[in-house]
Amino acid sequence: MSAQTLPFHRRPAFWVVSLLASFAVIAALRISDAIDPTVGFLLMVLAMVQIIPLTRASMAKQKSTGHLSPAIKNYTRRFMLASFGYMLGLGIAVTINDRIELSQGGAFLIALLPVVPIFGMIWTMGRYVHEEDDEYLRHRAIMASLFGLGVVLSVGTFWGFLESFEVVPHVEAWACFPIWAIGMGIAQCWMTIRDRAGEGEAE
Amino acid sequence: MKNRLRVLRAEREWSQQLLAEKLEVSRQSVNAIETGKYDPSLPLAFRIADLFEMPIEEIFLRD
Repeated sequence: MSAQTLPFHRRPAFWVVSLLASFAVIAALRISDAIDPTVGFLLMVLAMVQIIPLTRASMAKQKSTGHLSPAIKNYTRRFMLASFGYMLGLGIAVTINDRIELSQGGAFLIALLPVVPIFGMIWTMGRYVHEEDDEYLRHRAIMASLFGLGVVLSVGTFWGFLESFEVVPHVEAWACFPIWAIGMGIAQCWMTIRDRAGEGEAE
Repeated sequence: MKNRLRVLRAEREWSQQLLAEKLEVSRQSVNAIETGKYDPSLPLAFRIADLFEMPIEEIFLRD
C-alpha cells in the first residue's frame, strides 16, 4: 500500500503534525495564561502519548520498505521510554523547584530527574550502534552522530564567544543535547534524501 | 571503489530487495554500494562474492 493510499492514522507525517500542533496550542495557552503550569504539564504529557501511534506508523512504514532491523526496533522502544521519562522528570523537577525552597543537595537530586532519562537516550544511541548488524545503517548512524557533534561544538563555541562579548544572551548548557540531536536529525534527513535520489538511478 | 553489483544483479533479474534479503542486509545498503556511495567491509564483500560465485576482484574494481 503506498503512502498516498494509507489512511491518515497510519501515516507518520499525520502524527508529527498532530504532535507539533498540540505543542503549539499548549504553548499558546500557557503564554496567554489561559492555563496554569500544572494543567500545561498534564496536557504536555497527554500530547506526548501521540508518540505511540507515531512510532507504530513509522515502524510499519519502515517495515513495508524493508528498512526495519531488530536494532531499530530496540532503539525505538528504548528511546520512547526515555522520552516519557524525560517529560515526566522535567515536569516533576520544574514543579518542585517552583514550589519548594530547595537546599543545594536537594536541587542536585531534582536536577537528576530530567537528566537521567537524557543519559538513557545517549545510552540508547550507543546501544543502537553496537547492536546494528547492518554495516551501512551503522555507518549512517555514526556519521549522523558525528555531524551532530560538529554542530554542537561549532554552535556552542561561536555562541560562547558572542556571549563573552555581550552580543547574545546567555543560553543554559542543557541546550547542547537538543542541538546535537537536531544536528543528527538534519544529517539523517540529508542522507535519506541522498539515498532516495540514488534509488531512481539504480533500480 | 567501482563495482559491478548493479550489472550482476540485473543479469540475474534480481531486485535490490531480493539481493538485500540474500545478503541479509538492508535494501539501503545494496543501493548505497551499487551507486558507489558506500564501500562494503571485507566480510560483506566476501559474502557478495560468495553469492555471485565470483572472485572479489571481478566484482569490485580499483578506481
